[in-house]
Amino acid sequence: MKFLSGVYESLRIAVDALRANKIRGTLTTLGIIIGIVAVSLMMTAANGLENDFKESISAIGTNVLYVSRTPWIVHGNWFEFRNRRNLQLKEAEKLEARLDDALAVNPTTGTRKNIKFRSTVMEDVRIIGTTDKYIQVSSGVPEFGRFIMASEVQYKKRVCVIGPEIRERLFKDVDPINKKMKIGRFHYRVVGIMEKQGGAGFFGGPNFDNQIYVPITAFMANFGGTNRNFDIAVKARDNVDLSDLEYAIIGEMRKIRKLKPVEKDDFSINQMDTILDAYNNVMGVIVMIGLVITGVSLFVGGIGVMNIMFVSVTERTREIGIRKAIGARRRTILIQFLFEAALICLLGGAIGLLFAYGLTEVINRFVLPASISIPIIFLALVVSAAVGMIAGIIPAFRASRLNPIEALRYE
Amino acid sequence: MALEVTNIVKTYEMASEVVRALGGVSLSIEDGEYLAIMGPSGSGKSTMMNVLGCLDTPTEGDYVLDGETVSNLNDDQLADIRSQKIGFVFQTFNLIPRSDVFHNVELPLVYNGVPASERRKRAEAAIERVGLGDRMHHKPNELSGGQRQRVAIARALVNNPAIILADEPTGNLDSKTGAEIMAIFDQLNAAGNTIILVTHEDEIAKHTRRVVRLRDGLVESDYIQ
Repeated sequence: MKFLSGVYESLRIAVDALRANKIRGTLTTLGIIIGIVAVSLMMTAANGLENDFKESISAIGTNVLYVSRTPWIVHGNWFEFRNRRNLQLKEAEKLEARLDDALAVNPTTGTRKNIKFRSTVMEDVRIIGTTDKYIQVSSGVPEFGRFIMASEVQYKKRVCVIGPEIRERLFKDVDPINKKMKIGRFHYRVVGIMEKQGGAGFFGGPNFDNQIYVPITAFMANFGGTNRNFDIAVKARDNVDLSDLEYAIIGEMRKIRKLKPVEKDDFSINQMDTILDAYNNVMGVIVMIGLVITGVSLFVGGIGVMNIMFVSVTERTREIGIRKAIGARRRTILIQFLFEAALICLLGGAIGLLFAYGLTEVINRFVLPASISIPIIFLALVVSAAVGMIAGIIPAFRASRLNPIEALRYE
Repeated sequence: MALEVTNIVKTYEMASEVVRALGGVSLSIEDGEYLAIMGPSGSGKSTMMNVLGCLDTPTEGDYVLDGETVSNLNDDQLADIRSQKIGFVFQTFNLIPRSDVFHNVELPLVYNGVPASERRKRAEAAIERVGLGDRMHHKPNELSGGQRQRVAIARALVNNPAIILADEPTGNLDSKTGAEIMAIFDQLNAAGNTIILVTHEDEIAKHTRRVVRLRDGLVESDYIQ
């Protein structure tokens, strides 16, 4: 009871004190506002980047391993990988025959061609040769029409499935389904349009919405050339452990490629996690640095609060003396000034969050899919209250230790 | 007995010199007494008042206030004693400038942990008693000197203290207002409150029944007038 009424009294004094010094309070709060805006925007931006990134790699299937000539993320010496043999279509076929744990094995290859519909031309568009199993190993699905069928792969049919951006830019208002378009020198019939995946080309990665899928057999006949490199996607069966599958693939690939035991693998196994890990490593560092830098501004704001609290204590020395003379304990005075500091900072934190919210909406509209999350709001408020407490503790402690006799004599 | 001090000594160290402010003072004050502590400056009057008011502890000697030994308590314990057993009235009023009359008077009860409803009742009663019932929610700077001192008296009364200590309560007031304030003290004493005035004015001391004169940290005289 004694404690509670003391706390209430402290809160009331804190509010009174802030009201009495509006300009001073506002200026002090400004430091905290800037700090909180900086820190929460930093966190929001990091969140936004991560969302964007995840969206952009969402087309890469989960539970899927990719056998490729080189690793996706190269650490160290690129030359080590540069002279590796290309992966061949035959090898994909052999691998499929040998792997029991695979739900689907899908080879893909790609090139860039100009495409044309009526008089509209798009240059240098990514053309993917693949099979009907592509749907199983990726997260992409057709929004209109259908994907390539097995029979079309078998009979080298010149059909294609286009990304939503191709539809927008090449066909505009025309419904593309069953229309013929030119890919390079060849006519292909559009049978489907993929759903939008978004996250276009994050960090120079592929833009899945801006490519065209054709049967791999037709691709080889029309654009194949010799010694083409393939990527092989292997989707695991539901109850199969991905690392077991990886060992199986490595074993079978070594047999297919007739590698001697002393020879290193001349192919690489990739998965979404490799990219995620690499991303998290890089972003982790960037976010840490960002938090440190923005944290400095919050720290400076905290110093401003501490400074003003010292002033406040000095100015109210006599008042502290009166309060002590009529029975305030040390703790009561301590809490009074801590509350005042925390209140300044909480106020700054709340206003800062409002600003950060507005700025996030702007970022969200024009730059990144960013949003302020509840944890960020909560964290920002806790941090600002903590900054206040820490900034207030030394001045408050000094106030609580004042000798009432001397404090009463203070002019 | 309201209080009893025995052989109180208070020394201060000032720049390697030991100053003996009180050199062994003994004094006992009964409940309901009306007493003035007098003396020229440097006589130890202020130190005596600080010790009696539990703002300071004696270097040597015993102090029993309202049946409780308070001569060797720590800061927080002294604060509790002040909030429960002592009412202060200062020469410069010493009200909290930003708080209204009601809140100023209520404050000792807040520090004492009295529930809000009871605080209201007691604070209002104390304010009525000094005749400021119509100024309940005025700020100190909206009041005259005499009114401010009445607020301070109400604040000193509100916790039903064992002693009311008044340090030159009329020192900042004109003589007419001073007389009004002294009349309030007279009434309070008549109602049974123990009142200790610290003053150097004979005029003020005349209101009391007992006068203790200090000189050089010792009791020079102690008589009933």
